[in-house]
Amino acid sequence: MNEQPVIQTRGLTKYFGAKPAVYDLNLEVPRGCVLAFLGRNGSGKTTTIRMLLGLLEPTRGEGSILGHDIRALPPEARERIGYLTEEHQLYGWMSVKECGGFQSQFYPRWNEKIFRGVIGHFSLKPAARVKDLSRGERAGLCLGLMLAPEPELLILDDPAMGLDPVARRSLVESMIYLTRRSDRTIFFSSHQLADVERVADYIAVLDHGVLRACCPVEAFRGSVKEVHLRFSGVPPALPKIPGLLQAFRTERELRVTCVHYSRAIEQALQALAPLQMEMAPISLEDAFISYLGERGEKSFILSETEVQP
Amino acid sequence: MKALIRKELRENLKLAVLGFVVFTVLVVWSWRDYAVMMKDVLLGLRSLEGYHLQPVGSGLIFVGTAWLCVIFGAVLGWMQIFNERHRDLWAFLVHRPISPTQIFFGKVIAGLGIYIVAAGLPLVCFIAWAGIPRHVAAPFEWGMVLPIAWLFLAGIAFYFAGMLTVLRQARWYASRTFGLGLAFMVLLANVAPNWRFWQILVAMLIGIAILAAAVWGGFHSDGYYKGQPALGKLGLTASITVGAGVVAFIVFVLLANLIPNLFNSDRWAMYVMTKDGTIYKKIQGGRRPPEFVDLDGKPLIDAKTGRMIESEEFNRRACNTTSIPMDWEKPSLRRRNPPTFFTFWQATPDTIWYYWNRYGRLVGYDIATRRFIGSVGPNGFADDLSGGGDRFNAPERDRYPPVPLRTLRTATAIYRADLQNRAINTLFTTEKDETILGATDVFLNGADWDYTVVVTKRHIRLLTPEGKVVWKTPYNQAYPDYGHVRVSFLEKPGQCALWVAPPYGANKKAGWKLPTHVAWIDSEQGMFKSVDLPNLNPPGNGYSLRAKLLSLLMPPGLWAGIYLDDRPEPLELPWKLVLISLAAAAVVWVPLGLWLAWHHNFDIRAQLGWAVFHLFCGIPGFVAFLSVQEWPAQEPCPNCEKLRSIDREKCEHCGADFAPPEKNGTEIFAPLEASRT
Repeated sequence: MNEQPVIQTRGLTKYFGAKPAVYDLNLEVPRGCVLAFLGRNGSGKTTTIRMLLGLLEPTRGEGSILGHDIRALPPEARERIGYLTEEHQLYGWMSVKECGGFQSQFYPRWNEKIFRGVIGHFSLKPAARVKDLSRGERAGLCLGLMLAPEPELLILDDPAMGLDPVARRSLVESMIYLTRRSDRTIFFSSHQLADVERVADYIAVLDHGVLRACCPVEAFRGSVKEVHLRFSGVPPALPKIPGLLQAFRTERELRVTCVHYSRAIEQALQALAPLQMEMAPISLEDAFISYLGERGEKSFILSETEVQP
Repeated sequence: MKALIRKELRENLKLAVLGFVVFTVLVVWSWRDYAVMMKDVLLGLRSLEGYHLQPVGSGLIFVGTAWLCVIFGAVLGWMQIFNERHRDLWAFLVHRPISPTQIFFGKVIAGLGIYIVAAGLPLVCFIAWAGIPRHVAAPFEWGMVLPIAWLFLAGIAFYFAGMLTVLRQARWYASRTFGLGLAFMVLLANVAPNWRFWQILVAMLIGIAILAAAVWGGFHSDGYYKGQPALGKLGLTASITVGAGVVAFIVFVLLANLIPNLFNSDRWAMYVMTKDGTIYKKIQGGRRPPEFVDLDGKPLIDAKTGRMIESEEFNRRACNTTSIPMDWEKPSLRRRNPPTFFTFWQATPDTIWYYWNRYGRLVGYDIATRRFIGSVGPNGFADDLSGGGDRFNAPERDRYPPVPLRTLRTATAIYRADLQNRAINTLFTTEKDETILGATDVFLNGADWDYTVVVTKRHIRLLTPEGKVVWKTPYNQAYPDYGHVRVSFLEKPGQCALWVAPPYGANKKAGWKLPTHVAWIDSEQGMFKSVDLPNLNPPGNGYSLRAKLLSLLMPPGLWAGIYLDDRPEPLELPWKLVLISLAAAAVVWVPLGLWLAWHHNFDIRAQLGWAVFHLFCGIPGFVAFLSVQEWPAQEPCPNCEKLRSIDREKCEHCGADFAPPEKNGTEIFAPLEASRT
């Protein structure tokens, strides 16, 4: 990469009391990409975003956004960053039009056409009060307010949270068709993996405040493999496998999900002498759930749980 | 910023209207109160005595303004932040291309604009109404408005305190309200004894500036102490310290009331006289009933009960005693409402008269039309306010119980005003080269004027209302070392006891050795007996247990403005108590402050700074430190295994970095390219 990353962090850490919410985050987001920031609830996504925007003081570490220190973001940097909060909070007493009018006063590059386009896409009436809008409509309004200043960097904190499927689809469509610009960087957190798959170039995964993955979407999906092994009887105990995410034992089957599937893992599984062993296709959602789910081996064998007469 | 100001104005419009209505009701109520009073006076249904005759100084407007400014200011400040305190809405506000300072000013300009219009406009209209001639039948000076203006300013302090309360992110939730403590002190400055107007203004502005700095700092850091500019940190720490000081003081007072014998055990004595002219000592204080003993210390027994006489019974036997205010005594500044400017003098069926300090004359108003009639000075009536420039000396003020005074005086004469005829009569004129030092009218039975006592450098005289001298006794040899003059009126008509005592300062200078002279005087035989009484309570030899305990707890820094001893005057700093306070701070709070700063891993300069802060701020400083500073979380260093602070890049003990997160073998990292499909 020739250009300086749009977002860069070095050892970024945040504690709440004695508990680390984000630990030693090292991240570089290049210009012009769409990065999905993933993780379970409480994994530190919102904390990270708030630190990046200078809304929360880091405990230690450093970071920059558009070349500015996150601890002292100047107004000119904020002008270049669009931020969509997860609950789409706005002033309830304002009308849609008033919201646009209010926001436009702060942004010299405010593009009224974009704002009207977005609120039109969400079928919002300019005279409607914010307090009377549905959650999806409010999300659309927030999106319009964020996009109209034509920011270089969009930071969206779980933009589809709480939206029904129709509103979510509408929001994603907007993100795809209205936000794409070659020089625009999008950094968004989400739990909607189908949306991530449609929109994102890269994903970064936080697990209990620690960055465990940061790679292209395809690389992530390619790194997570699921192998099905069939046996004539109850599957034998699984040996120690590096990169094991989950193993699920039933009466005649063993399903193993792991990362960085290698020849060594294959040999270890072959050593269990299965009747059949095959690689199963895995979706991003399944890969992600396996990745962030409970680690280790689980058994579900009915014959062992039956009560003997 | 204009958009933000407009948004704030629109957002708080309902509150502004509500405030405007409430303040308007207050001033209309005050106006109506005055109009009804004047109507009643005109109909002869009500006497004027005891009422506030200038509405801008009435208790209703003063107390009403105080309460409303405090409440409205605090609620307005609170609401301006509370409306947006939801995390995401706050982020929406803060994440815009203007600085936190601009956001602060946007909110404050709008907030103060609302405050000025909602609270200030009705008050200004009310003041303008009172100031326009013929609206109010009483003197008006702009200085009378200052108490209201100061209360209005105090409301601004509460405005910032309200903002700070909701803006501040505090580990101890209750400490969020400490900013209100500083605002309360700003309000108290308005009634501080012995402070002049400009001193009050400066004190209030400093308080407001501290609170404003604390709020301004909060906008930079989402209300946290950490991350604020130095000025914001300073403002927040000062606000919290003063608030904690107020809380500490309240706790102490509650303790003092819970354990009365410990904190109020001090008793003091004073001389009292019965109607037959016998002197006793009254020993009181310490939350016990007063004891009455004779000059030899023998208890006074009540013949009816056979026990020591009780206070109520003694008061029945006690004679009436009057103090004569002397010219050398500075008038108290405690009350800055209209009595500072004018004093109600007398009313006739259709007119009302005041002594106006500025002109030194009695000024009259017509009750029905409320128009100015004219003024009366030593040389008689004049159509204008200043007459020929002749003036009376200022009459006695703050007399308790309040009585309508009857005489006026100049340096050489005592006058009685005949306001029915708008004339002045000379009651008494001094002899050649004799100057009047003080005089007072004596009312032995309610409002009946019995005598006037006149003190000159040469004599003390008792005059009848007709100006006849009842008795006269020499005084010149005692002045000014014996500047306190009291007259006790005994049972036999015309018989008195004259008390001539040294003032506090003179007695202190003489090592508390100056006795009090008492002389018994009769209208027929003159002075027939006298005695010298020793000083009963030589002060300065020790302070009360309460004062000592309080000085142990109170921060030395607050001593500059607080005088805890019971002596009324002159006001002076009790150095002994200050030293106790400083010693306690040096022994307890400085080491504690140093330890706290060390524990927080501050550098040596900051450690010393916090130690000095604790030296001057004591308990409130300690509480403030714990309130503003996050308690430093620690975890074991993987290198040296000692506990290290989490907010340092390297271990403070061994310099090691923090360990990277432990790998679990599932990490997936690949380079992110700038280009994309």
